[in-house]
Amino acid sequence: MLQKKICMLGGFSVGKTSLVRRFVKSIFSETYLTTVGVKIDKKSVALPDKTVDLILWDLAGEDDIGSFRVSHVRGATGLVLVVDGTRAATLTAALTLRERVEAEFGAMPFVLLFNKSDLADRWVIPDREIDELRQRGWQVYLTSALSGEHVDDAFLKLASMVTK
Amino acid sequence: METLRQLLVSREISELSRVTHLLDEPEQLAAAVGDVLPTAVARATHAQLGEALAPAVERAVQRSIQKSPRTLTDILYPVFLPAIRKSIGEKIDQTFQSLNETLRHIFTWHGLKWRFEAWRTGASFSEVVLKHSLIYRVEHAFLINRNSGLLIAHVAADNATSEDPQLISSMLSAIQDFVKDSFNEREQSGLDTIRFGDLRLWSEVGPFATLVSVIRGNPPEELHEIVRDVLLRIHEECSQALVEFDGDSSQLAGVEAQLRTCVEQKQEESNEGFPWLVAAVALLFLILAGGWFFLSWQSGQRWQAYVSRWQAYVSRLEAQPGIIVAEQQARDGQFYIAGLRDPLAADPQSLLSGTQVDPARVHSQWQFYQSLQPEFVLKRLKASLAPPDSVRLSIDNERIVAEGEAPDTWIDRARAAARQLSAGGPEFDISKVRDVSPEVLEAKRWQAYVSRLEAQPGIIVAQQKIRDGRFYIAGLRDPLADDPQSLLSGTQVDPARVHSQWQFYQSLEPEFVLKRLTASLYPPDTVRLSIVNNRIIAEGEAPDTWIDRARAAARQLSAGGPEFDISKVRDVSPEARAAEHWQYYVSRLEAQPGIVVAQQSTRGGHFYISGLRDPLAADPQALLSGTEVDPARVHSQWQFYQSLDPKFVVKRLTASLTPPKSVRLSIIQGRIVVVGEAPAAWIDRAQAAAEQLSADGVVLDVSQLRELDLAELNHLRESIQTTDIFFSSGKVVPGPEQTPVLDRLADQIKEFAQNARKSGVTARFMLTGHSDTTGRETANASISAARAETVRALLNKRGVAPELLLVRGAGTFEPAVPENSQAGSSTNRRVSVTVNLD
Ligand SMILES: Nc1nc2c(ncn2[C@@H]2O[C@H](COP(=O)(O)OP(=O)(O)O)[C@@H](O)[C@H]2O)c(=O)[nH]1
Ligand SMILES: [Mg+2]
Repeated sequence: MLQKKICMLGGFSVGKTSLVRRFVKSIFSETYLTTVGVKIDKKSVALPDKTVDLILWDLAGEDDIGSFRVSHVRGATGLVLVVDGTRAATLTAALTLRERVEAEFGAMPFVLLFNKSDLADRWVIPDREIDELRQRGWQVYLTSALSGEHVDDAFLKLASMVTK
Repeated sequence: METLRQLLVSREISELSRVTHLLDEPEQLAAAVGDVLPTAVARATHAQLGEALAPAVERAVQRSIQKSPRTLTDILYPVFLPAIRKSIGEKIDQTFQSLNETLRHIFTWHGLKWRFEAWRTGASFSEVVLKHSLIYRVEHAFLINRNSGLLIAHVAADNATSEDPQLISSMLSAIQDFVKDSFNEREQSGLDTIRFGDLRLWSEVGPFATLVSVIRGNPPEELHEIVRDVLLRIHEECSQALVEFDGDSSQLAGVEAQLRTCVEQKQEESNEGFPWLVAAVALLFLILAGGWFFLSWQSGQRWQAYVSRWQAYVSRLEAQPGIIVAEQQARDGQFYIAGLRDPLAADPQSLLSGTQVDPARVHSQWQFYQSLQPEFVLKRLKASLAPPDSVRLSIDNERIVAEGEAPDTWIDRARAAARQLSAGGPEFDISKVRDVSPEVLEAKRWQAYVSRLEAQPGIIVAQQKIRDGRFYIAGLRDPLADDPQSLLSGTQVDPARVHSQWQFYQSLEPEFVLKRLTASLYPPDTVRLSIVNNRIIAEGEAPDTWIDRARAAARQLSAGGPEFDISKVRDVSPEARAAEHWQYYVSRLEAQPGIVVAQQSTRGGHFYISGLRDPLAADPQALLSGTEVDPARVHSQWQFYQSLDPKFVVKRLTASLTPPKSVRLSIIQGRIVVVGEAPAAWIDRAQAAAEQLSADGVVLDVSQLRELDLAELNHLRESIQTTDIFFSSGKVVPGPEQTPVLDRLADQIKEFAQNARKSGVTARFMLTGHSDTTGRETANASISAARAETVRALLNKRGVAPELLLVRGAGTFEPAVPENSQAGSSTNRRVSVTVNLD
């Protein structure tokens, strides 16, 4: 049994919960998020050479960066950073969160998701900025939890990164 | 005519006689009713039957309880025991399951076995019951990585189901974090128990892994021990693999076997069902039996009433001695009766009661007469002759016989009555009455009294006689023997006619001697006197003065009296006792460190002691308390001296040198060793003390002392407190230009913390985040806190232990400079540091 703890990070209402819901059929109710502040799901991902169980931690309430519980990330091997492509501020939020996690636990593999790609008319992130981030060697995906576009790809990529 | 009758109604006659016969024979009637009873009961209206049966059943149960309460208790025992058990079970929380179980098991085979076990192990019965009756089962055991919450291994009991163990594992650790965060719990303590209905989650936290057991039921306290043991063994056997665990549990496959020992823990319910069937059958039997009794009784009653209540009364009167019924008649619902009755016979009216004949309808006419039936004659004779107690009158074969003793006057009157009766009445035989005049009787009584006196120990009758109706007696009596006068009572001898002459003497019978000794010697409670083989033996403890008196008494007795053996009395005179207490006190002093007893003696009831004592040793006076030695009689002379016992030397040194906190004095193999860091001046004083002590042969080892330099520490603290980390507007992570500042700060904090720890103090560093006044106040507050948090994380990354770093956000409230310029705001966006020592 090979398992990895993965944390969903990102600002308020960017689509973290929706992405997890799209990727795995959940057994826990989403009320856990508001009560315990975290919801956990599992997805077995088959890679060419092995199978890994991703244990996905979806955290609630990052509207206020001060209230973010870094302790939930302890022991994680990978991050899913989620940005809402229709709100530029959510990119800063995601990057800040990553910085705080790295300061506490050191660098770890991540994928960066620009979500809600189906809302092309309200899209505010310039392609140039995305290219720039890719240039740094980051794994960047344009996803839609609504249509499912690139969701599996992103998680699959992260799975192979954390098992390297 | 007879033939005709035979022809016409012979069948009816035989049928009628059969029925009459049936009704007349109770045996047959009962058999007949018994045949139809079950059907009758089944056909009866339920409500009416119940009502009819109720009083009879109640009475039957009442009688049964009166006769033998055990029978009913035995029948009902299986009914009320579960009822008691149930109500108790409902009232008391499940935790008190034990009580329930105790009740259940008191009378069972288990109960006996457990009583035996309790007796054998010395535990209380309830403890043993508790041990056996806590019903539980460990259904799951999860071993969870403490860091990531990932599942290392999971074992489930047979038939136990759960959601995905991996998810449960993570969720449990998330919930632990949640509780910890919510209630500011310390890092170490995990969430011990979660309880939900019948289910309990116990979590046992180890350094690298947490063991969560899911238990259904009421587990005993020892289970904690077992679980803890398993976790400990896992840590011992796989510590390396646990530390390196990164989600790959194949390395830790072996722990499953360990977890299985947890899951094997259970205590099953023993299923001794309650015998409902037996109880139901028993109850049914009880009801049917009661019903049968009732019906047979009632039918008999009715039959009698209807056939001839009146006839029964009349025949009852006819059977009555002294009553003669002349005629009787029942007419128009009224009853008439006439006849003779002896005044001494039973009252016909009172005989009515209980016959269920209505007295209002009875009209009686009775004439008095004197019956010559022997029993009436006897009654009349008893009333007229008033025979003395010593005469008994009885009826024998229609004759009246008098027996016993009577004075001659009474015998004369009886003879006259007998002559009168001979005309038609029954014979009155008085030949068996002996003539007893009072003189004869009194002489007999006197002899009984004399022989009673003679049998009395301590009384010797010398002479006795009767003359002119007076009684004379003379003899010897011991003062301790019973009083001859008081022995008269109950003998019916007239005391006024008794003339006694008694001489006192001392009886030498052992019991009298014992009484006299008890009266004269006043033996203390601790001495017991008894008679063994005609010897008087004293046993126990007594003061020597008493023993002396007892010895004198024994010498006196030796001339002719029984032997008085006092060899078994031990001497416990107050002096001996006091001397014993004194010796105990002296030995207590001698055992005391820092006290040397030089001399001690006892003289004339006073105690003298002298010696040496260290001022730091226990106070000899205070040690007196509890020894029962009278302090007023103790004369002590103590010279102070300094004990060289290392324990006392350490006490003195601690008092005179006042060592700093960072220094520890200890005794190692008789030597005093000083370890730690201290200022140079103190080390000098310690060395001087060591030299002085060496002259007395005491070793004070100061070689392990190191010098402490506080000046440098103060310098470092100044440098740390003037360091600030600056931030760009709106940022919570400092820019790259702050990296060298952070590096230097981290080094200084580490150095300070280490030096402080060496001097025995703990240093803590408060990181205070600040913001400029741009933006909303709430946003500023959270930004300031986040800045402090980030710096904490960055320092932690540079090797500063996180528990030394405290974090707070000051918002805009503690600006470094007044905020009226661009430069002002950038100076205020910072994290400052303060050092606290405790
Ligand atoms: N159109 C669109 N809406 C989305 C998408 N993902 C999430 N949403 C919506 O965004 C809102 C917030 O989503 P949620 O998953 O709760 O965000 P979270 O706070 O990050 O967990 C919800 O109303 C979602 O329906 C997406 O890809 N496209
Ligand atoms: Mg959410």
